[in-house]
Amino acid sequence: MDAEVDGILVAAHELKAPLAVLRQLALSFDEMDAPNEHIRSEMISVSERAIKQVNDLAKIRRLSDGLFEMEPVAVRAVCDDVTRELAYLFRFNRRDLAIRYSNKSKLVTANRDLLHSVIYNFLLNAMHYSGEETKAELVVKDEHGKVKVEVRDYGPALPMDVWKEMKRGWIKKPTSIAMRPGSSGLGLYIASKFSKYMKAEIGAVRHRDGTSFYVQLPVSRQATFWDL
Amino acid sequence: MIFVVDDNREMAECIVRATRREARIFGNAYEAMDALSDELPELIFLDILLDGPDGFTFLNELMSYSDTEKVPVVIVTSLDLARKDLSAYGVVGDLNKDTMTPKEIRSYADEYAK
Repeated sequence: MDAEVDGILVAAHELKAPLAVLRQLALSFDEMDAPNEHIRSEMISVSERAIKQVNDLAKIRRLSDGLFEMEPVAVRAVCDDVTRELAYLFRFNRRDLAIRYSNKSKLVTANRDLLHSVIYNFLLNAMHYSGEETKAELVVKDEHGKVKVEVRDYGPALPMDVWKEMKRGWIKKPTSIAMRPGSSGLGLYIASKFSKYMKAEIGAVRHRDGTSFYVQLPVSRQATFWDL
Repeated sequence: MIFVVDDNREMAECIVRATRREARIFGNAYEAMDALSDELPELIFLDILLDGPDGFTFLNELMSYSDTEKVPVVIVTSLDLARKDLSAYGVVGDLNKDTMTPKEIRSYADEYAK
């Protein structure tokens, strides 16, 4: 099958899943005597994730136009934003998220929106693959003159073919083998596309008890507030 | 007790809500199989496309044990299973995730669970 058509099929399938959930949630209102705050929160969370995915896919189309400016970005602030956005989802799925910052270099050269999406997709992936009552870890540290943002999960080992693609630095296309919602690799595909655009290094480490995905970003030479 | 096996937590919660009964949610087949050794449910709602072993593998596991082979299963999926007869696997019905309603979900619970 044509790679582009294949990609569209995967994206369509990924986006159908939240629509089916939204439909069920809307139908749930009929089952209750009064509107339920919990269901309302779920509907917001599901629709926001779907909108973000559509936005990310639209951005991939626009990467070739070079519209995303590289700038000094405070990496911890981006991580804080993403974890705040995903806090509800982690709580809902009964996963913990541990955050550890040890980076001395505060600014990296990146595009803020694209970096946000890379970390968002890593964390969503970690949440999806971690077992219930387990945790994911977000670590930001200095390594080899760069800043490394690493997301570790304690789920099943990463399939060898995906690991090989990650080792190469980018994923050619999301897989349509199973077309399972949340596990077609669309998130990793988006992350790899955005990382490549930012000239950041992306990769994965297989552990016996899970996987770490990381992106390494060049340190911005602009003096930070903390340096002054 | 009802088991819901679905890697989409939100969808699983919707199914539980529709049954209006006590239910346990499992995100993959391994967790559900583990739980089956402690407790036999009255009914299982089973997604097919799961992380790790899929729903069909889970059905085969169910059939391989004398105590679990009689547990009724309702398939809940977006796949088109219209032409598949899975009654030999203890499947008593199937629901399409895109079109099912809480009432349809509950009708299975009413029939098979207290």
